[in-house]
Amino acid sequence: MNAPDRFELFILPDGVDKIKITPDTKVPNAAIIRIEREDHTLANMLRAQLLKDKRVIFAAYKIEHPLFANFVLRIQTEDDYSPREALKNACSGLISELDVIKNRFKEEWALKSLLNTNDDEY
Amino acid sequence: MEIDKSDGPSVTIRESERDHVNFILRDVDLSTANSIRRTMLAEVPTLAIDLVEIDVNTSVLADEFLSHRLGLIPLVSEGIENLTYSRDCTCDNYCPKCSVRLELTAKCDTDSTMNVYATDLAKFHNGSRLGDPVIRDANRRGPLICKLRKHQELRLTCIAKKGIAKEHAKWSPCAAVGFEYDPWNKLNHTSYWYENDAAEEWPRSENCEWEEVPDPYAPFDYKAKPSNYYIDVETVGNLPPNEVVLRAVETLQRKLADIAIELNKETVEASNANAGGLTTYGRNQFDDGGDSPGMGRTPYGGDGGFGGNSSWN
Repeated sequence: MNAPDRFELFILPDGVDKIKITPDTKVPNAAIIRIEREDHTLANMLRAQLLKDKRVIFAAYKIEHPLFANFVLRIQTEDDYSPREALKNACSGLISELDVIKNRFKEEWALKSLLNTNDDEY
Repeated sequence: MEIDKSDGPSVTIRESERDHVNFILRDVDLSTANSIRRTMLAEVPTLAIDLVEIDVNTSVLADEFLSHRLGLIPLVSEGIENLTYSRDCTCDNYCPKCSVRLELTAKCDTDSTMNVYATDLAKFHNGSRLGDPVIRDANRRGPLICKLRKHQELRLTCIAKKGIAKEHAKWSPCAAVGFEYDPWNKLNHTSYWYENDAAEEWPRSENCEWEEVPDPYAPFDYKAKPSNYYIDVETVGNLPPNEVVLRAVETLQRKLADIAIELNKETVEASNANAGGLTTYGRNQFDDGGDSPGMGRTPYGGDGGFGGNSSWN
């Protein structure tokens, strides 16, 4: 009866920011980034991509509570680099990687459908 | 940045059928492959019946039972990109731009039982196949909705809307997604339960043939990472399997792009967060006045205007 609407898992409500960046006061060049209305799908992918970046010292994420649709990403970077930049690079890196996957899949599919044009559809 | 081949990820399709594709994804991170799997299952938009207006229902099934069954009927979703989400539409409730209307009228006049199938749903013409029930059975009748006895009647209107499976599984384009990597378990990501000998008791995966047989005496390679993913996508018929994969990848890209855009926007906001405490439980959203356009806070909103995120973006 009082269950929250399911669309609250992915629809950003008015007045809520998609991203909130809080600098970590204990360590230099570190930030705690809260991303709203996203889950493991995005968080884990970003985390893995950040760790591939040599100038990133630390990257990890957690979903603090299963009922709240957000995750917290903590990034620490080297001196001449900022967590924000690191995240931006991770995003663009992943977008281009996914682009490659998309194109390779399209090519393969086109090839496959050329091969079996006449022998499908019952 | 990449350790392995600079060539980037690769795709090999092993099988492709009308409702099914089996492919190997190579040279990507486990997290990326898994994210693709997750988006295919839950975040590719499709069309499904979401509202049912029942005029007459004298069948043995209760209204909500019937509505549930109707919701689960796969509808052709090719061209769904031309339909807007009902919640984003400018109309009051629903309109042809954000919905597809289907009507069902059935009455049993014979002594024998009458079957009502998905093909009995009459779609309001919309100039495309979008919203037609998916038919895969030999009799070309579609899924069975309900059975009627003599004098029982059904008269209802269905409104199909665009949605994603995160909201309800009826919007999922996938019946199942097979996902396997490391069939020999060289990485020890799993440990098999066994009575005496795991190798004997567990059936070997078909994908084992695609990878080298491991040397049982080789030392454990603790630096090894998975690189080949055997993915098998089975759709419910509302979208062709290649579309499911491609749209999943596109959805992921859009998510990432959204984050990148937000990061570019938020140059000012970060310094705000610096000043405003550590607790980020969504409460300090109030202090920049961004959420209250009509509450008369605007005259004082001068300072808020500086750091104001929502008013200037």
